[in-house]
Amino acid sequence: MTTTRERMVFLDGSRLIIEAMARAGASAYIGYPITPVNWLFAGAKQRIPIALEAPDEITALQWSAGFSSAGVFPVTASAFPGFALMIESINMSFMMELPMVIILAQRLGPSTGSATTGGQGDLLLLRGCISGGYSLPVFCPSNLNDCWDMAAASVHTAVNLRTPVVLLTSKEMVMTNQNMDVSGLKDVQLAERHLHEGNGAYKTYGVNGNLAPPFLPLGNDLHQVRLNSSTHDMEGITQKNSPEALGNTERLKNKIEQSIDDYTYFDHDPDEGADTVILTYGISAEASREALGLLRANGESVSLLVMKTLLPVPPRIYEMLEAYDHIVVVEENIAGLLRELLYGNHQHDRIHGVNKIGHMITPQEIAEGVRQCRKPS
Amino acid sequence: MQEAILNDLKMPYCPGCGHTVANKSMSKALVDMDVHPLDVIVVSDIGCTGLVDPLLTCHTIHGLHGRAVALAMGIRMGLEHPDKKIIALQGDGGATIGLQHLLEAARHNLDLTLVVQNNMVYGMTGGQTSGLSSTEFKEPDRPESAVPGYDICALAHNAGAAYTARTFIGKDTAELWKEALSTPGFSLIEIVEMCPAYGLRKVQELHDVSDYESVISKNQRPTGGPHRAEGRSLLDALKPIEHTCEAPLDGRLEIIIAGSAGEAIQSAGDLLSTAGITAGLSATKKGDYPITIGTGFSVAEVILSRPPIHYTGIDCPDIMIVISQDGLDKVRSRIGEHTLVIADTKLGPELEGLAGPPGPTDLLTRDFRKTGGLKGAALAAIAYWLQDNGFLPIEALVEAASRHKHGDKMKVIIDKAVAA
Repeated sequence: MTTTRERMVFLDGSRLIIEAMARAGASAYIGYPITPVNWLFAGAKQRIPIALEAPDEITALQWSAGFSSAGVFPVTASAFPGFALMIESINMSFMMELPMVIILAQRLGPSTGSATTGGQGDLLLLRGCISGGYSLPVFCPSNLNDCWDMAAASVHTAVNLRTPVVLLTSKEMVMTNQNMDVSGLKDVQLAERHLHEGNGAYKTYGVNGNLAPPFLPLGNDLHQVRLNSSTHDMEGITQKNSPEALGNTERLKNKIEQSIDDYTYFDHDPDEGADTVILTYGISAEASREALGLLRANGESVSLLVMKTLLPVPPRIYEMLEAYDHIVVVEENIAGLLRELLYGNHQHDRIHGVNKIGHMITPQEIAEGVRQCRKPS
Repeated sequence: MQEAILNDLKMPYCPGCGHTVANKSMSKALVDMDVHPLDVIVVSDIGCTGLVDPLLTCHTIHGLHGRAVALAMGIRMGLEHPDKKIIALQGDGGATIGLQHLLEAARHNLDLTLVVQNNMVYGMTGGQTSGLSSTEFKEPDRPESAVPGYDICALAHNAGAAYTARTFIGKDTAELWKEALSTPGFSLIEIVEMCPAYGLRKVQELHDVSDYESVISKNQRPTGGPHRAEGRSLLDALKPIEHTCEAPLDGRLEIIIAGSAGEAIQSAGDLLSTAGITAGLSATKKGDYPITIGTGFSVAEVILSRPPIHYTGIDCPDIMIVISQDGLDKVRSRIGEHTLVIADTKLGPELEGLAGPPGPTDLLTRDFRKTGGLKGAALAAIAYWLQDNGFLPIEALVEAASRHKHGDKMKVIIDKAVAA
């Protein structure tokens, strides 16, 4: 007997992420070696037209910014130790409005922690990494299909909004092999920058309707381009705190937030009449899906909400969560980062956590967490 | 004649500042070279040097303190037009914090020009000395036994820069600019300058500082640039796995294979997973090994399942295949009450000694090293186990092996294990 499926292969999330980004238009990968992004780097060397080894992570981001300013879409990847070094340069790229994707593969911290142990400890770092509290769009794949879809969405969102974007993942997602029928993957469209056209006057940060300014590369023959990391006016000239410059800075916030509905991604599996929802993201999502099956098979009604757009927090998420008396937040950290992101430090009784470090959270632990939160206190 | 790259705005520098003279020299050099402003990109650093940014009529990018050279490298590697001039402007403070970038630019010998305007102080923050300050430069807080400054021209030259020069402000530096801008590859000019606010105030005082001397050095090297290649689809590179036989497994089976580095444990895990997929199952596999991958344990975790696999973790496996002491030491604590352990003969006595839980429900030992050799022992154990219990048809394992570059050797090992 021979049954040929469309295209069943055995692969890891790293391969899907790099391939999807390449198809979306990533033309340069700049990496500094760090576990667990080794397979991303290896894949990029085979797939991305320009794949470079930077001497450190600060350089990786500076080179990325240079590529982006010349019109080439760059991608880089790291774990917390390297990402920490990148932060000032990410701020620079955010201020200059240079599209790029930074893949952050989480591992057990703090500090160097454990390089080959997974974790989900960097969410609030991303929420606060832009000085002033501005949001970077952050996407997070929950399974192999998402590695493909969220990678493409990251590139498109970066291009559409002229901003750095973070794809937040974890060791378990990028270093685990699984079987997958890749014939079912969606087509990835090429993300194309919105360019300034014609010979009319050009201001690097001039906008008209769309809050993301049209782009021209450094070195073009028609218009002067002024990119600036300091507070600047619409021409890109440094200003201390002029109304125009402050307005331009305020636009950076509005630019990211106003179109959030266009890049809000989630999986909501509601159970009719359920008073409890499991809320999760990333590598804890698959265990949560399995826990959902365990609970429902046992006649216990529960819903599941998997966030794939983490930042800025989509308003749709709050709307969906309003329907539940109990929200069980599952994440591989002990501080409850998603809980704090959504509900602050003074959390209502209806917010519960299932947390652990050093090992993946099991479906059984999640099911038990759901049962515990429903017990009368 | 081309227009100047400086507009008519008043220079933002203190009277007597060397930066004013240096920037005018840059503009004069470009005009003399007949370079259009839109063929120039100036990358400016934080510090007084960067204050020239608003006066420039060329393309500008004003970045972070110390990172101008790294940013300029990215621009050069991304630009499709090699004829565009890229100029990075830094002070001695920027060159200090970004010294690694400077050396990297020299090492790569990318075509760009860095001008370090060394006035020996951080002028924006109160006149602190930098890594390029002379030991003879006197300022109130500077200790007598100060360490010497970097000779960045020597460093850049030794790192491979095509052209390096040090000069003093006060002469016409435009000729040096022209030579640097005309030299393919990385060029560096260090201009020793006055700082009327905190540093030396007269040109003669600069010359009196004996640490600095005028110098021009050259390296004959090819100009650097990134290699571009059309990548091959990472998905097309994967050979599809055909479903050619059926496994009787209905549920989920969790398997741990444990051994030592160099014993092809990860390959064995991949092979078992592929065999499972060949037999119509879902499969996941993850590896665990020390960062130093050439020594110590190597563990592969494999899940085979009829239903789709969501959770990819394993606590206590159903099956544990152990072929070395390193592997056993790593996974011993994960043996559960229901774990079947298949081990190399030499580990038998230790496993038999495990009393009570955790302890295997069953223990099978064979001389897998004799059957499979160092790199084939894990595969031999897998083949033996499959032959023994029938979770997967053995032809699925043979089919998986046939995809491997060492497939013929693997098939011999499988045959021997099955026959045994």
